[in-house]
Amino acid sequence: MDSETMLKVENLFVTFNGEPILRDLSFSVKKGEALAVIGPNGAGKTVLFRALLGLLPFGGSVQWKDGVKIGYVPQKFLTDRTIPLTVKEFFLLKCSRFWFPKKEFVDHLAHELTLVGLNKEVLSKPLGELSGGQLQRVIVSWALIDHPDVLLFDEPTTGIDIGAEETIYNIMHRLQDERSTTVILISHDLNVVYRYAQNVLCLNKDMVCFGSPADVLTPQGLSKLYGEGGFYLHRHTR
Amino acid sequence: MEQQTLIQSLVIAASVGVASGAVGAFIILRRMALVGDALSHVALPGIALALAFSIDPFWGVVVFLLGAAFLIWWLEEKTRLYGDAIVGLLFTTSLALGVIFIPDVELLESLFGEFPKLPLFEFSFIVLSAVAMGSLVFLFAGKFLFDIVAPELARIGDRSRFWDLLLLLVFSFTVALGIKLVGTLLMGALTIIPASIAKNLARSTTGYIMLSVILGGVISFGGALVASLYGFLPGPTIILFGVGVFLLSLFARGKG
Repeated sequence: MDSETMLKVENLFVTFNGEPILRDLSFSVKKGEALAVIGPNGAGKTVLFRALLGLLPFGGSVQWKDGVKIGYVPQKFLTDRTIPLTVKEFFLLKCSRFWFPKKEFVDHLAHELTLVGLNKEVLSKPLGELSGGQLQRVIVSWALIDHPDVLLFDEPTTGIDIGAEETIYNIMHRLQDERSTTVILISHDLNVVYRYAQNVLCLNKDMVCFGSPADVLTPQGLSKLYGEGGFYLHRHTR
Repeated sequence: MEQQTLIQSLVIAASVGVASGAVGAFIILRRMALVGDALSHVALPGIALALAFSIDPFWGVVVFLLGAAFLIWWLEEKTRLYGDAIVGLLFTTSLALGVIFIPDVELLESLFGEFPKLPLFEFSFIVLSAVAMGSLVFLFAGKFLFDIVAPELARIGDRSRFWDLLLLLVFSFTVALGIKLVGTLLMGALTIIPASIAKNLARSTTGYIMLSVILGGVISFGGALVASLYGFLPGPTIILFGVGVFLLSLFARGKG
């Protein structure tokens, strides 16, 4: 693996109860690259992320660059909205001192939150009282707080207003420019993929395509991935 | 009742109550209220076995409860529902075994607790252990919480389920400490009630844990005091006292 390669996946297989979910995936991601993973519902996109993170058993090999720091933004993480956890306490889970955090850490928090378009008043709010968009920004900020080398971003399909989405993609753009963070993104919006990704991985259990958006997001490629009449096709081919 | 027994019991009530409030706060968030509530039943076969070998039942309780913690932890690796069924079966089996094998004279106290007359060593062991359990919970609150709130995110950095196991062990041991006073049927409830009240009232986790700790101490001490004044069994009195506070908290929340 050369020094510029952050992730190398070879012959990745995932099965649940004998049923194949991912079959024979091989690809690699370079430093500073944004890779978009697209595919229809049930294609195994989130399963791919979970395998990359080592959260489920798989066959084949997943090799991260040595000592790489990974940030993960899951599609959904808060299963219980009644948990009395404030935004600040949620961040403190990442701090070595939960009860009496250092002042620098708390000051740093306020600064990081402004990057995702939130003000520090949100710190004292319980997570369960945030709107979908606010919660999403908090999770993004949470994943970025210790400056990961790679960000895995599982985009939510619903519940985010347009304004919030704009901010999040702007942040990801800035991350790439300023910190040369590598981003692997699951996206449902081909418009976003065109604008932000250098490479696209089309997934439908098998790897259907891999390459730059202009090369692989052709009408033929998309109909192969989503089936004939996929509405994405009409909206985004120019 | 001898004054020394009363003082011992009140000190145990307060210290075990505080530890129960602390660890119970996490058990409730972990959605284990029912399992936690019934876990204390597992102590009964331990009591029966210890009595059969003329050992102090307390040590039988400790061994059986710590064993149960390992078992729950191991079962949770399997599918959740399956684990639940096994745990339910195991707990009721323990209750049945205990009722059959514990001699009649010991049975009532084993089930519902008593004001214990303890040698100084055992008394100090219980109180110091309760303080230790409470301190462990505070020390590792962030770790326990991370595992409960966002288990997937927590497991990215740390694949082991160590913190989960530690929480279950602390929980079981705390239950063991209170069994003499509160009884095997009701001790689990003492860990659940303070946290349930606190969750009704708190808006932050630190507030929630602190409130649960204070309520644990107050309910346990208050219940034991009322029981001693009126000659009731301590276990049921403590639990009813706690349920009373719980109802009040619902009212307070409704107004707020």
